[in-house]
Amino acid sequence: MTIVLASVRRRRTAFVATFLSVFLGSSIVMAFAAMLDTSFGDGVPKADRTTLSIVATVVGGWGAIIVASAVATTVAVAARQRATELALLRSAGATPRQVVRLIVGETAVVAAAGAVLAVPVGYVLGRGLLAMLSASDQVSSGVEYRFGGAALGVGVGVGFVVALLATRIAARRAARRTIREAMFEADAGGRRIGRVRFWAGLVCLGIAAQNVVLSLTMVDGKKVYDVQMIASEACIFAGIGFALLSPIILDRAVRLLGGVVGRVGGTAGELAVAGIRQRVQQAATPLMPIIVVTSIAMGTLYMQAVTNALHAKSNDKVTETLNYVVVGMIVVFAAVMLVNLVVTVMNDRRGEFAQQRLVGATQKQLLTMVGAESAVLLAVGLLFGTIGGLLTVVPFTLKTTHSVVPDASIGIYVGIVLTVAALTVGAMLVAGRRAAGADAVSVLREAANA
Amino acid sequence: MNEQQVGRREALRLVSVSKVYGEQRPVAALRDVSLALAPGSFTSIMGPSGSGKSTLLQCAAGLDRPTSGQVFVAGQPLPDGDETVLTEFRRDRIGFVFQQYNLIPYLTVEQNVVLPARFAGRRVDRRACRDVLARLGLAKLADRLPAELSGGQRQRVAIARALVNRPAVLFADEPTGALDTGSGREVLSMLREAVDVFGQTVVMVTHDPLAAAQADAVTFLADGAVVDHLHRPSAARVAERMTHLDEFAAAAGR
Repeated sequence: MTIVLASVRRRRTAFVATFLSVFLGSSIVMAFAAMLDTSFGDGVPKADRTTLSIVATVVGGWGAIIVASAVATTVAVAARQRATELALLRSAGATPRQVVRLIVGETAVVAAAGAVLAVPVGYVLGRGLLAMLSASDQVSSGVEYRFGGAALGVGVGVGFVVALLATRIAARRAARRTIREAMFEADAGGRRIGRVRFWAGLVCLGIAAQNVVLSLTMVDGKKVYDVQMIASEACIFAGIGFALLSPIILDRAVRLLGGVVGRVGGTAGELAVAGIRQRVQQAATPLMPIIVVTSIAMGTLYMQAVTNALHAKSNDKVTETLNYVVVGMIVVFAAVMLVNLVVTVMNDRRGEFAQQRLVGATQKQLLTMVGAESAVLLAVGLLFGTIGGLLTVVPFTLKTTHSVVPDASIGIYVGIVLTVAALTVGAMLVAGRRAAGADAVSVLREAANA
Repeated sequence: MNEQQVGRREALRLVSVSKVYGEQRPVAALRDVSLALAPGSFTSIMGPSGSGKSTLLQCAAGLDRPTSGQVFVAGQPLPDGDETVLTEFRRDRIGFVFQQYNLIPYLTVEQNVVLPARFAGRRVDRRACRDVLARLGLAKLADRLPAELSGGQRQRVAIARALVNRPAVLFADEPTGALDTGSGREVLSMLREAVDVFGQTVVMVTHDPLAAAQADAVTFLADGAVVDHLHRPSAARVAERMTHLDEFAAAAGR
């Protein structure tokens, strides 16, 4: 325990990332799960009960999946970052099991804090969600807000338990390797993705494809909401699938684009490309939220815009509100995750930046390199996010309006792209500036004594 | 002192360099150190731990600024100005070899060696690079990544990287500290060869008398001040002086 606390204090950035993802994720999931608690209340009318449980299970379910994968990614990145340190502990006589216990213990401390602090926030968010539902007359105003077992159970489950499981998996993989392998892997950054991740990515893309086919063939085009339900899942699954496969996508993309980036970006561009290729796993990490947020925001917002145009006077506000809530929630969450992951990755590169400074790189050259890398990530992420979004938008528009181009402003897309671009470039440059500006000698001395 | 007169024929000159750390309870890491090294000389800096060896190297190499005193590299004073100015000064005149190699993990051996030139915006001289690699026995490893090399090989790459720009001074900080005896000896003979064949000026911080004895001269530090010099040192004489210094340090209660 003493080691755990000492270690938590030392690795602040990684732990802030873990804490934030568990805290925010649990809060959001709790708010939706609280709708389930509310629906179980005495004297809740049957129609309200149905609406509430749909909100909780469908929307909350999607939220939970996204939150769970975000939490898993964050803690896995944090654990992977420490491969060298784990090898060091192993070489000092720790067994793989002891190393795993240490890391899981650390995550437990941080994630528990996140989950506990999420309870009041989740409570307030849930209350707000119910207020929104009753203000738009989707739930009668008499329904009393309840926050209980479902909220706590699901919230803690998705935040805390997922964090622990993901840490355990990542730590076990790291700890089971031989010490020599661990050192090597840490140095080279790792180039391959796990088999499970690869197949999970393919399965997600398969489901997305199936959704596209189903929405085009099986459903009656006049039943807009049926089409909506099936089509909307295409962008979610495609986003998650591309995100899972992002290291492979990035590797291929850099092979194709590498020459161009090198020519445009000069030394910094070429270094950025070389850097991405050798540490593609780490470099691809910020790609995941970029792809997911672009895909889901684009798919859902355009689908809603088309629906609104079809039913100018529609009073089915339920789906509309929910769609906006989902997008809003995912965008905020993904934005936090994006910043989170970028900061963690940049912090991890302080040693590398320090080495480059000693070889003669100025801070400006390092920032140009980081800028080139974020440009590549953005281009690839936006491209695949857009493909994911189109998988929802095109079938839906085609089916309901018999046109491929949605009757909606291009402004939505521009807005999404600008938001994602601002977040990515902003986070990378701010975090990169901090990492590249640190005193090179003391960074390396710290690393040598770690 | 007039800059023009400060040894154009000197590779490195320190004039009354002092370094004080901390504001509340200041600790003097270097006290009034003056040194002058001729081009093509090979100097070892030795001293008990805490004697200021690393601080001396960092101040001399422009990695840190002295609290007072002046540093001249190839007759040029370390420039005033921000980190960027200092970086540009360093990369044109100074090469580094560190205990921990400090190779960029995702660049190949050759890419690592040409990196300083690329940051400096100079045209990369592939031939010179291949030439240095061949001289250091690394020609066959040019396309490998650092992680695929042994410690000794990595340190040779670091030396190649430091040499390829023909810096005015090459600073080596415990270059054999992480190596086994055999690899360590190889690295030392490479530094020796750089001095003898290329006329490279080398300054090496070490605590190993065997390593120090490779140099033309040894400068001993204790408690932040230069306390002794040895010319044409033998390992035995270096070790003897060190023992003396350690006793001296122990007596001073450090």
